[in-house]
Amino acid sequence: MWNEFIKQFITLKGYVNVLNGVWATLQIAVFGLLIGIVIGTIIAVIRVMPKYKLLPRILDKICVCYIALFRGTPMVVQLLIGYWVLLPALGITVDSGVPVAVIVFGLNSGAYVSEIMRSGIQSVDIGQMEAGRAVGLTYATTMLKIVVPQAIKNILPTLGNEFIVLIKETSIVSFIAVTDLYKSFKQLGDPTYDYTMPYLMLALTYLIMVLLISWGVKLLEAKMKKSER
Amino acid sequence: MEKQLVLSVKKLTKQFGDTQVLKGIDLDVYEGDVVAIIGPSGCGKSTFLRCVNCLEDPSGGSIMFDGEDLADMKVDINIHRQKIGMVFQQFNLFNNLSVLDNITLAPVTVARKTRRSLRRKNFFIRISNLFKKDKTPLWDLGKSISQVKAEAEQRAMELLRTIGLEEKAAAFPSQISGGQKQRVAIVRALAMNPRVILFDEPTSALDPEMVGEVLDVMKDLANAGMTMVVVTHEMGFAREVSNRVIFVDDGVIAEEGAPEEFFGNPKSERLQSFLSKVL
Repeated sequence: MWNEFIKQFITLKGYVNVLNGVWATLQIAVFGLLIGIVIGTIIAVIRVMPKYKLLPRILDKICVCYIALFRGTPMVVQLLIGYWVLLPALGITVDSGVPVAVIVFGLNSGAYVSEIMRSGIQSVDIGQMEAGRAVGLTYATTMLKIVVPQAIKNILPTLGNEFIVLIKETSIVSFIAVTDLYKSFKQLGDPTYDYTMPYLMLALTYLIMVLLISWGVKLLEAKMKKSER
Repeated sequence: MEKQLVLSVKKLTKQFGDTQVLKGIDLDVYEGDVVAIIGPSGCGKSTFLRCVNCLEDPSGGSIMFDGEDLADMKVDINIHRQKIGMVFQQFNLFNNLSVLDNITLAPVTVARKTRRSLRRKNFFIRISNLFKKDKTPLWDLGKSISQVKAEAEQRAMELLRTIGLEEKAAAFPSQISGGQKQRVAIVRALAMNPRVILFDEPTSALDPEMVGEVLDVMKDLANAGMTMVVVTHEMGFAREVSNRVIFVDDGVIAEEGAPEEFFGNPKSERLQSFLSKVL
């Protein structure tokens, strides 16, 4: 069992495939999260905006629908629709599913991050916004330069959590023919149909990645805390 | 010499739901005035101050400043707020910025915005000039951003020097004491060269030993001729520094006068009983 795995992994250069899988997984999770943070911040700011005027009210409704849509359907379904329905419908052909996965993960994560970010923005003292407005800065400038940076600091642990969720969730991209971590390990077992070692190693690899990320988030948190308190 | 009118509030009212907090307040503030507003808690004095720069939208009345009515929602309030400084009870320094950046943020951002809008205007002027015989002159962009930044920093350091905090320029708000924070907050307001500064109970959140240092800075400001409207519980400050004291009770100005007259010979019964409690 062990020997077979070693043979597949090293002698037959299975590790190249695995490294590619790690790369695809990281790409999807990292870029997905970045897109998610941008979308989430925009939605969160729209949702906490004062609603005196018509435009913010309309935008707010759109955001509510967006969140309902992306939180209300499984990500697998979103991937499948994106790759097998929307791409052909738009007449786009792609070499690999990775860009599609990145976009879907970003859109999906944006819905979740928006709620995280909203709670982060609401956790920042209202006085910060008032002080910004009182010196003559606009709502947008104060949000961008004062409130959101403090909000991000507050929600960093939760964002780390979201990143971990995304990393693990990437195991579904094999549905759209992307070779991620899961697929690359599965292929190691395919010749013999013995998946014991590949799947145990798969679990270990995910675990190591997640632990590394939690450690990195902790470091980042400590560093951001230093600027304050 | 006639003193110039800086701020003229007429019949200002404010409602929160069914509660009428301000029931028509009139106040004229002239250049160099130091107006102290006192009154029992919940009487609307803080709300009044926050209405003056529209942190709370007034429900009615007018606030004339620089020839425009701030109570009118169509007026671009951001431009006027640059000329109305505000100091808060809870200091409200920007926690994510150093002391120096706290002071320079507004001047630099405003300069950057003005510059950007001028460049946009110039762009369209250039295009329209292509089709014109007599060219429209372009707007002068003035100083570059790095220049503005350097000047803002220099001015911030000067201001910090006057309050003896120049060595704290790189510190973050959480690393300095309450009294220091409030002095920095005053300097932050000053950095925009405001025509009037509003103080919302600037010493109420301070430890007793730190009240003095903040009041000293305010006294220096008043002596330097700054126009100030101060909501305060410091009767000593109101009596010594202000040239007019206003007693707000139940959403209206119940009594006003020069400090000697106001404290020495209060007319209304309400003020007499208030003063007997706080003095």
